[in-house]
Amino acid sequence: MLLGIETLLLILVLILAVVSLWIRDLMSSVVVFGAYSFLMCLIWTGMGAVDVAFTEAAVGAGVSTVFFVAVLFNTTRRIQFNPLDLSAKIFSAILCIGTGYLLMLGLSDLPSWGDPQALVNTNVSKYYIESAYKQTKVPNLVTAVLADYRAFDTMFETCVVFIAVLGIFMLLKKDGREPLKETSAKANDNLIIRVASRFMVPFIQLFGLYVVAHGHYSPGGGFQGGVILGASLILVAMAFNIEFVKQLLSIKRMLLLAVIGVIIFAGWGLVPVFLGQSFLDYSAWAALLPGTGEIMARSHSMLAVEIGVAITVMCGMYGIYMSLVSDGRFDKGL
Amino acid sequence: MILKFNYVIMIILMMLGLWAMIAKKNIIKKLIGMAIFQTGIILFYISMGAKSGSNIPILDYYDRYKPIDAAQYANPLTQILMLTAIVVGVATLGLGLTLARKIYDDYKTFNEDEILQEIKNEHD
Repeated sequence: MLLGIETLLLILVLILAVVSLWIRDLMSSVVVFGAYSFLMCLIWTGMGAVDVAFTEAAVGAGVSTVFFVAVLFNTTRRIQFNPLDLSAKIFSAILCIGTGYLLMLGLSDLPSWGDPQALVNTNVSKYYIESAYKQTKVPNLVTAVLADYRAFDTMFETCVVFIAVLGIFMLLKKDGREPLKETSAKANDNLIIRVASRFMVPFIQLFGLYVVAHGHYSPGGGFQGGVILGASLILVAMAFNIEFVKQLLSIKRMLLLAVIGVIIFAGWGLVPVFLGQSFLDYSAWAALLPGTGEIMARSHSMLAVEIGVAITVMCGMYGIYMSLVSDGRFDKGL
Repeated sequence: MILKFNYVIMIILMMLGLWAMIAKKNIIKKLIGMAIFQTGIILFYISMGAKSGSNIPILDYYDRYKPIDAAQYANPLTQILMLTAIVVGVATLGLGLTLARKIYDDYKTFNEDEILQEIKNEHD
């Protein structure tokens, strides 16, 4: 599958990666890295991975660039000029080229690009493709595998997001030792940004809810929808100020919601244990949900756990942004 | 070699990220290198799951009740592994940025050499 457009995109991506590491200004470097992520998302669309492309567009190109900017805005974008320390650079270059050479030797064992009969594409993946719709009535196979067949994986990934937020809170928390700086609590005085974001935010949130709820039939699901919902809150925090967005969703309530999201997922999986089935075996929910057979119970359960994932991811993105931009004080933003 | 162009790009991207993590002096550049390394791994998984001439892994309305040929749809398994990896990646990136911010608060620089110098001065 040597498609011209994808080969071209791969070369472009490589150039952008080099440029992003080369530029001697951190802000430009971060922006080039955002462009790199966006090209990556085009490549994944070309390879048929639409859900991954959606996630990358929301997370890699969107939110992670915002995180970088939030840190650089309050610190420095300058890179100090170093006297040329070539020995360390050449040593690490030799190390990396050596590792790369060893990896290249393994190339002959890998399946060729786009081979449907390759080992990855046959055994369990073939089973998922052939039987996922029969067993769950979910046409989007990625959602079916994500929320049902491999729900254990997804549950602990959600926990990792929650733990990362907790870690960031612990690291940046200021327990009143340092005096509060002069707060710039007045609203952002850029009228165009305020009015435009006031119009945009409801539509962004509606789209986020659609992505969460329609993940069964189209690309999307809890992770993507949660990131979009979190991004809408970040937009409010940027266009107005942190005091305003804290009235909408306070920090305590945000942490509580993140816990609730994990509990929804784990609790929904725990109920089948009390009904005599194994953990996360959704078909047991048929006894509790009225009017559903075992198949539809699995389909509805997926929506429930996706909602849990979306709540945790939304609060996670919001919390990480708020901590980074205000250095743990939650008093002023960009 | 030319048929495995995607893996070649993957290896180059990963080594670029590794080199940046070792050789770059600026902490933020190191974090960008880490993210590039991560996208290299994601590229590896996704391009292994790609099938030439296949569709996206969402069943068409008319195909749902027919027997399904697995070769017609891209591999959903590698995709979900990477989907969750991206979201976890941004959470760990946030943690890394937090550590960078803490270091900046203490030493007023992102430069590795100057941080080491400051630590040495504190000990003396």
